[in-house]
Amino acid sequence: MALPFWEIIYRSKSSPILEEKQFDLELFKKGQELKKKYGIKYEPQAPVDVDGDLADRVYQAGVELFLHLGAYCTTTKRAIKVSEAELKEEIASRPEAVEMGQGEDRVRMVHRDVEGTQEPIVIAGIQTAPFSNEEMMFKINQLCAMDRCVDGIWGGILLKIEGQYEVVAGAPSEIYQYRKTVEILRRAVSAAGRPGMIIINNAPSSIATIAMFDEQCGMRRTDYMEVTGMSELKVAYDDLNRTAFALACGINIHGTHSSTIGGFSGNPEGAAIAAVAGSMQEVVIQKAESFRCGVTDSRVKSRISRAELWAAGTAIQGISRNTRLIVDGSIGDHPAAGPGTKQYLYEAAAGFIVSTVMGAHSTEGTRKFVVGDTPNYGTPLESRWMGEVCKGAAGMSRAQASELVKYLLEQYEKYLKDAPAGQTFEALYDQTTLQPTAEYQKLYDEVKAELRDRGLQFRS
Amino acid sequence: MGQEEQLLEALKAAIIAIDTEKAKELTQQIIDAGIDPKRAIKISIKEAAEIIGQRFDAGDVFLAELVMVGDLMDEIGGMLEQHIPANELTKKRVIVIATVQGDVHSVGKNLVAVVLRSAGFEVHDMGVDVASSLIIQKAKEVKADMIALSSLLTTTMPYQKEVIDDLVSMGLRSKFKVILGGGPVTRDYADKVGADGYGKDAFDAVDEAKKLLA
Repeated sequence: MALPFWEIIYRSKSSPILEEKQFDLELFKKGQELKKKYGIKYEPQAPVDVDGDLADRVYQAGVELFLHLGAYCTTTKRAIKVSEAELKEEIASRPEAVEMGQGEDRVRMVHRDVEGTQEPIVIAGIQTAPFSNEEMMFKINQLCAMDRCVDGIWGGILLKIEGQYEVVAGAPSEIYQYRKTVEILRRAVSAAGRPGMIIINNAPSSIATIAMFDEQCGMRRTDYMEVTGMSELKVAYDDLNRTAFALACGINIHGTHSSTIGGFSGNPEGAAIAAVAGSMQEVVIQKAESFRCGVTDSRVKSRISRAELWAAGTAIQGISRNTRLIVDGSIGDHPAAGPGTKQYLYEAAAGFIVSTVMGAHSTEGTRKFVVGDTPNYGTPLESRWMGEVCKGAAGMSRAQASELVKYLLEQYEKYLKDAPAGQTFEALYDQTTLQPTAEYQKLYDEVKAELRDRGLQFRS
Repeated sequence: MGQEEQLLEALKAAIIAIDTEKAKELTQQIIDAGIDPKRAIKISIKEAAEIIGQRFDAGDVFLAELVMVGDLMDEIGGMLEQHIPANELTKKRVIVIATVQGDVHSVGKNLVAVVLRSAGFEVHDMGVDVASSLIIQKAKEVKADMIALSSLLTTTMPYQKEVIDDLVSMGLRSKFKVILGGGPVTRDYADKVGADGYGKDAFDAVDEAKKLLA
């Protein structure tokens, strides 16, 4: 680490006070100025940038944006800024690989190149989703962990304690239940025969997240601490509490940031630039060894719209081409459609193909975008899909990915705003054999065959 | 087109272009020329807001521009309202908006706040991670017509219900309409916890607010 974390904290308290609104408006103005300066243009008919020149310009613009703005600390109402030399030194000091998990379940997450054949690490599971009870949570996660194309599990939450007391963020119930959640996850991966497997969860508050770490029965130093930044280019002390704990204990730090199309970064070009800037924030401010370079689209409840694919994909490509950093893409993690539908598989495939081909891992699980308080709204088959697509797309060319993504967009794009809701685990899996229903398996196999015919080289 | 129409159209164009200096200059000219300020609000400000809203909906205008247009409309609206007798001023419907306690997600809430404001509502944006008691206190203080609550996490959705339950227990439920939104929130959930409305996105929230406060 080039710039000490405590220097970041010092700057968060000693820089001039700045109104948050001014920071937000400057993000928009500077982003649009850089869009012009670097000639960055989103062409909807080309959702995948195939030559890299555009991605390089997005990277340069993103770095310039971060150096101009810094990251806004909402706790102290100040922008934390770094110099160009400090940023370069920080990037150079980051590892090209981190080892995660233990024993036979240990994996090495390395910097991935664009079109690279390096193994994409897949942390699947029904991320942040509610489960109806302990037994169901155990069962679903055990089945997810049994899939060999999955390297880790991102957990969810049991919404009731003892089946009756509500779990709410910021309350004692949050600490108790998130802790119980990771204990269930640890037991589930052990029962799946993978005791050293990575498990991840991230509670709303830092105190509850920290409480999940326990070498015996919870999250371990060899998993990772997710340090979420706030959208867009913001961070709070509650985020940085996680960094402080991880640094003190030697836990891998994984940052996440999302710029927002329709938010203060504006258009898709602005969001791509801000996605790079946000990634720089994760590296310098949150001290992440790996990070999610994300984009959301405020206009749809899916993270795989055409504009998101372009903006996130181009930003990831820019970082992968210009640094040796370890990037997480996870673009396919939140489809609009629900489980048990072809649309879910199409949306997820488009996102995970772009993530992988552009040089990223996918470590943020997979689930329907809107789950509400419906429990068990996902199955192990979507986790398998995530794993199969990511591993299968490693080494694919951007040109081939572009054709495949265009085909996939044709299948789902027009249904994004009125996507099929899908069904829960109880409806999609035989509850006795714990296998997908024949109908769901057939649907899965059909989509897999369709993509195989179009050039996706599944490993099995 | 007469001079009055020209001035009103020019002001509308200046608002849409977010040309603050020109808009203020034209507003002063409208006041000096003795043009009915209520007409200026209707023709220049409200029509500009509608056009900007349509462009935002089409993806041609973005959140930051809405904020800047909103600021500009507030400024010149204030200049014009000074010349309208108090008893002729139309009171705006008042909305208090917040992301609930324990939740720091701001983008969706910001978007809804700005779009509501550009649709003509008086919006009090309390920010993120706001305790239920403070939301209710603010709603009482500003005599709000509606409370809009955002939650992006399944474990913070209970705070949306808490606000509604607290309003009931304080005997205030009938004073405020309550509308919910946020990534994991559904209409079914909003109905289940006793909200009056649900916005699946910013525009839906505006339509719902207009309907509920008609």
